[in-house]
Amino acid sequence: MSEFKVNHRDGEGFSVLELKGYLDAHTAPDLETTFQKLLTDKKFNIIVNCKDLTYISSAGLGVFMAYIEDVRKNRGDIKLTNMSPKVYNVFDLLGFPVLYEIYKDEQEAATKFRQQLKKG
Amino acid sequence: MSRIKKAATLIASGVLLLFVFMYDVVRLTVELGDAGFLFLRELLVVAVMVGAFLLMREYARKGIGAAIKETGRLLIVVVASLVVAAGMGMLPGIGFSEGTSMPQNSVTAFFSLVVSMVVGTASIQTILTIKELVYHKRKRGTRRNFLTYVVLLLATAGFSLPVFANDLAILGTTTFILAVLMIVVNSFRQNWIVFLSRREKIYCIIYSALLFGAFLALSLVLSNRTFLQKAILFFSVPLERFVLLNSMYGAVYFGMAFITTLFHLPTAEAYERKQSELSSLHNLGRLVTQVFDFNDLVRTVTHMTREVSGARSAWLELIRQDPNGTRADIVSANNIDEGEIRIVMEGTEFSPRQFVMESKKALMIDDVGADRRTRHLKGRGLPVGSLLSVPLVSHGSLIGILNATKEISYGFDQDDSDVLTTLADHVTIAIENARLIEQSLERERLKQELMVAREMQKRLLPDRFPANPAMDVSAHSEPSLEVGGDYFDFVHLDEETVGIVVGDVSGKGVSAAFYMAEVKGIFQSLSKMTRSPRELLIRANQTLRENLERKAFISAVYAVFELGTGRVVLARAGHCPMVLVSRESNRLIRPNGLGLGLTDGELFEQSTEETVLTLKEGDVCLFYTDGITEARNGEGREFGYDRLVELATEVKDLPAVEIQNRILSEIGAYCGRSGPEDDLTLVVVKWLGKRPKDSKAHQGDHHE
Repeated sequence: MSEFKVNHRDGEGFSVLELKGYLDAHTAPDLETTFQKLLTDKKFNIIVNCKDLTYISSAGLGVFMAYIEDVRKNRGDIKLTNMSPKVYNVFDLLGFPVLYEIYKDEQEAATKFRQQLKKG
Repeated sequence: MSRIKKAATLIASGVLLLFVFMYDVVRLTVELGDAGFLFLRELLVVAVMVGAFLLMREYARKGIGAAIKETGRLLIVVVASLVVAAGMGMLPGIGFSEGTSMPQNSVTAFFSLVVSMVVGTASIQTILTIKELVYHKRKRGTRRNFLTYVVLLLATAGFSLPVFANDLAILGTTTFILAVLMIVVNSFRQNWIVFLSRREKIYCIIYSALLFGAFLALSLVLSNRTFLQKAILFFSVPLERFVLLNSMYGAVYFGMAFITTLFHLPTAEAYERKQSELSSLHNLGRLVTQVFDFNDLVRTVTHMTREVSGARSAWLELIRQDPNGTRADIVSANNIDEGEIRIVMEGTEFSPRQFVMESKKALMIDDVGADRRTRHLKGRGLPVGSLLSVPLVSHGSLIGILNATKEISYGFDQDDSDVLTTLADHVTIAIENARLIEQSLERERLKQELMVAREMQKRLLPDRFPANPAMDVSAHSEPSLEVGGDYFDFVHLDEETVGIVVGDVSGKGVSAAFYMAEVKGIFQSLSKMTRSPRELLIRANQTLRENLERKAFISAVYAVFELGTGRVVLARAGHCPMVLVSRESNRLIRPNGLGLGLTDGELFEQSTEETVLTLKEGDVCLFYTDGITEARNGEGREFGYDRLVELATEVKDLPAVEIQNRILSEIGAYCGRSGPEDDLTLVVVKWLGKRPKDSKAHQGDHHE
């Protein structure tokens, strides 16, 4: 079984989670813990960089669903970036592009957050 | 011997004795010169003695436990006979004439008979008892030596029969001396004493001393011109020999027994303890067999603890971790109640329990009342003089404490501590085993439950597929674990319309299975309310949005087939696209749509579309879950859409069930040994395009 890793780093006004490897029912709890920590730290502007994410299962998608509401309630957002076509296809199949902002790269998402911050 | 036989023997002996007595009375007054009568009388006496022997043999006890009881009984019999003899000798009007040694009167003759019988039977009891003792732990020669004595004894008695007059006196003396020799030889057979408990040995010392005295007295009385000697000699000369020899035997044997017991007494306690340790070690085997009943096991443990240490009371505490910390539960207490245990174990300044828990070492308090640590227990009225607590340690961690107390101080020694430590090791293993068995039983039970759940879930899926001239349908679903979150179903909306749904609950296993059952209920009821797939999915989303936990969602595809026209209306809620293989082209039918339970109604409604297709004869539709397309091979590559479409194209001309089997076997082969990781569902619809006869869609018996 391929491994899964979450790397967390903070940008200016947002946090970046870099996902690596295979996100399924077994590894989903790792991502959950990371999200939980961000929420307790009141970091609601989250960019999830999927550059090295090789696979995501329905349980993996569920993690985003579990936190998006709380994040948005706190005027934050989860933005997804750098998806491989395969991973995008999984998101797309479920209609995630309707629910989440998906960007080509981190830069785009960061710009978006900055714009929103100015407005807010 | 039966009771009747016993009674007959008794009566016969009595009658014979009566004859003897009548003869004696006659003999006193009339001079009877006939030796024949005298011989006959002796025979009667012998017969009576044999009868007495047969009767008494019936009451002899056998075995280890009987030894000391037999000895005690013999003491009573011998002392009683001595008292009877002495008492009768002192009765007035009784006497023997100086010259002839004949009774002065018939009363004397009667008492002679009585006292002879009493002493005679006591003598028989003596030989029976000694035989039991000598035969205990038999060795080669035991029986031979004893029987030699008996033969010499009987010979001595026989040679003294009045019929032989003094002709055989030399022989009689010789056998007498040989018999005495055998008495000495046989008196070294004192093995039985070793096996007596300490208590019994103390009794044995008293008994054997008294018996020695009694037999010595009897021997002396018989060797001197006393009433008893005269009485027996008048009654029967052989009996006198018999009684004298046996009395000597008794004196020598019990004299030896007295000395032997005296020597064995100091080692009695050690021997007894070894004995009980041995039996307890033997009983350790019992611990292993009782692992199936935990209560039995702990009860046996405390019982054995008392047994091996000779403790007054014993109890077992097991350590349990709970949110409030480490706790000790008293699981079995023997001869002490929980209140008393608490007083002993939970002192405010010093707690023996705490000490063992922290040190994991045995604790021995020799004098509870005087020890600095437990002085507070003095005067509490507890029967605890000394305490021994031994830890049960498994893989370095403490699982329990085994405790024993004695009423006396300094009750336990190093040996006790060692033995209890050994016992504790075995107890630890037994308890661990019992727990393991409990766990594996629990696991087995859960497995059974899951198998039941699997069967239940199978029944939620249809086992009958739509069968009509317009479509050929086949379907298969296989959870990757015992139960899964995949769902497919067929609904017969009316004679001309069939709905097919395939769904996939996020996640796997039991949680997914519960949602799957819920989804079935929702689809079944909604399909009766609306014929529009989009409408149905919107309503399903509403219901599920309220009921699903936030991270769970369901993808589904719902297609309604009009059998008459080949028109298919299809809506997709985040599910895998339908594969359509027709003569000309292959397509993935993928109308926009969100997964169920992901978002509230409005957004869902906006994003979910409906697609309409018209099927032609020979078209093949595949509905499936991502277990099919995401099936991975050993290198981690997914089976993928392309391969699925390609394969479907290849086999499109086969009947639905064969198309299904080909696809499933290709996927099985693709995954290799590891098998599919996800729940896997495939529904194949082959469009035959024929109008249903009589415009009626009927359910066939087409099974999976």
